[in-house]
Amino acid sequence: MMSLVNVNLGNVVKKQYLFKLRSYVGVFTSLVVLQLIALLFSLGGTGGGGGGSGNFHVMINYYSGDVVIIFTILWVFINGILITTKAYREDDFSFVTNRLTNNLSNILFLLTASLVGGVTAIASGILLKVIRYFFFNAEPIITTFSISTIEIIYGVLATILYVFLFGSLGYLVGSLVQLYKKLAIILPVAFFGILFALASRDIMLVEGVGEFYFKETSFLLFTVKVITTSGILLIVSLTISNRQEVRL
Amino acid sequence: MNVVECKGLAKHQGSVKALDDLSFTIKEDTITGLIGRNGAGKTTLLKILAGYWYESSGEVRVFDEHPFNSLTVSANTILIDDQMSFSNSLTLQELLQEASNFYMNWDMELAQRLFSYFNFDSKQIHENLSKGKKSTFNIIIGLAAKCALTIFDEPTTGMDAAVRKDFYRALLKDYLAHPRTIIISSHHLDEVEDLLEDVLLINEGKRYLHLSIDDLKEYAIGLRGKSAIVRQWLNDKEVIHSQSIGTDRSYVVVKNDFDHDRATRLGIEVSPVSPSDLSVYLTNQKQGGIDDVFSKREFR
Amino acid sequence: MLNTEGSKPIYIQISEWIETEILNGNFKEDDKVYSQYKLAEMFTINPATAAKGLNLLYEENILYNKRGLGKFVSSNAKEIITDKRKNQKLKGLIQEVVLESERLNVSDDELIEMIKTLMEERKGELK
Repeated sequence: MMSLVNVNLGNVVKKQYLFKLRSYVGVFTSLVVLQLIALLFSLGGTGGGGGGSGNFHVMINYYSGDVVIIFTILWVFINGILITTKAYREDDFSFVTNRLTNNLSNILFLLTASLVGGVTAIASGILLKVIRYFFFNAEPIITTFSISTIEIIYGVLATILYVFLFGSLGYLVGSLVQLYKKLAIILPVAFFGILFALASRDIMLVEGVGEFYFKETSFLLFTVKVITTSGILLIVSLTISNRQEVRL
Repeated sequence: MNVVECKGLAKHQGSVKALDDLSFTIKEDTITGLIGRNGAGKTTLLKILAGYWYESSGEVRVFDEHPFNSLTVSANTILIDDQMSFSNSLTLQELLQEASNFYMNWDMELAQRLFSYFNFDSKQIHENLSKGKKSTFNIIIGLAAKCALTIFDEPTTGMDAAVRKDFYRALLKDYLAHPRTIIISSHHLDEVEDLLEDVLLINEGKRYLHLSIDDLKEYAIGLRGKSAIVRQWLNDKEVIHSQSIGTDRSYVVVKNDFDHDRATRLGIEVSPVSPSDLSVYLTNQKQGGIDDVFSKREFR
Repeated sequence: MLNTEGSKPIYIQISEWIETEILNGNFKEDDKVYSQYKLAEMFTINPATAAKGLNLLYEENILYNKRGLGKFVSSNAKEIITDKRKNQKLKGLIQEVVLESERLNVSDDELIEMIKTLMEERKGELK
């Protein structure tokens, strides 16, 4: 008799996580492509206005990395859904795993993706300003270029947290859809339905939720809010996918 | 020690009972053939054993653990079937490397030897392989993983006869060198029967027979002769299958529990029944076979 | 070498194969015969089936056991095998004769008479 191999949870999660870093390369190439597209959009300016009287003319353009961040958030949301799909899940189950290690390694992967996404998003924001400054003949009247290191660090951390929040949301949506396929149609319809229904009564859902997270001035409180929300989203995903059958 | 134990195992899929009150045990270090018609519940059973699906009721133990969500079962069990999926971003050679990280008993030397014997290209992607090549790659994983419970569900899908033969030989040689519990389901019972120690025949989700392959070979006997004589001989015997040959002769399969010489003396031709024919006869839903579908027609 | 199409169970074919090897002198008295694993490997069969074939020969005293060492050829193995084969073959032939005489409506006495005559003739020829 072959002696039984003993495995522990942490070890399997680690192996699954490393396996994902190697096999989900497509996730990161899509990030690069998306951020490049976002950069191109941003080069023309993300917002602006102008006015003048007589010979005097004023043009105001804002150049920021916001589009890049929005694209990155979209990217992580979609990939959060994607890694719950059959194709990705079944790759894991060809090797040693159970549903818990599968979910935990997915969460670790999402964290890594958020880290990479957040850092590159901020970096491309800086890159954007550099490009404008050196290559385009546009003299900035006010430049916010000289931001302090500590501001950059906060910026990066906040972006990572945003990205992770939306990654977790995507993961929950994906897990729900895997549980009940029709949710792929019901969820978006319900989301926009509620949005418009509330809006018609002057209740701005997105604004309300947005204010709760994005208008938070204390960084610590903001971190706590985001991590708690992500945690709840992920625990729900973990619970509902724990009876998921594979190789159906 | 029993590696697999099932007691009253049932699995419902919608209104269909894929498994229904199935009970059996599998001893360690045996090669068991899982036999049954299409839809008998073979695949369902194997997926429950591997922890992919959960049971609706009853009890299932693998290595004395409940397989669904058990890491021990996952680490010591491998299920090879044509649904195995591998990442498209990894080459075949990289997949072998990944497998070696996950399976502690992984035999890389064997994997590489088989890989080059079957002429695989290291840079190929699993998804782009032909059906037969996919099956061949999967069995390399199955053999090299050296899991204490190794399950093959129709492993030879799409393989040509020569590769199938090579696989059976490889499986046996590896089993002799590293005894472990193997379950193999196959439509080609005649091809695998020599490898088997035991046969588990299931029908409509229930256990039908579980015995050694040698006992299965002697389980029944075929009688051929004049219908009148055969019929007279049959009076107290359990008929498994019967068909008429020509106008006045019959071929009847009965349980093999009597002295053949007496039958031979009556002029009845006695012949063994191959396990694969027998399992078809045993699991025919009704008496008779395809001929009865056409019974209304008579050719002159 | 084995007939897998299955007129005879594999373990019986294994035991017959070993018997033939003994008759041909490939295994001599007190030689160790192949283990179940060696036989399994040679014929691509399950080792349990091979063991069953070996046990059959052990039960017929053609082989004897040495604890932990394996199975060995008995001193009178050849005799046992030839006796056994004689019996089996003769019995089979006689059965065919009996059946054929039934089909041809030859009475029992007639058949016995035929056999006796044949035996007498042979004796005469040998003298």
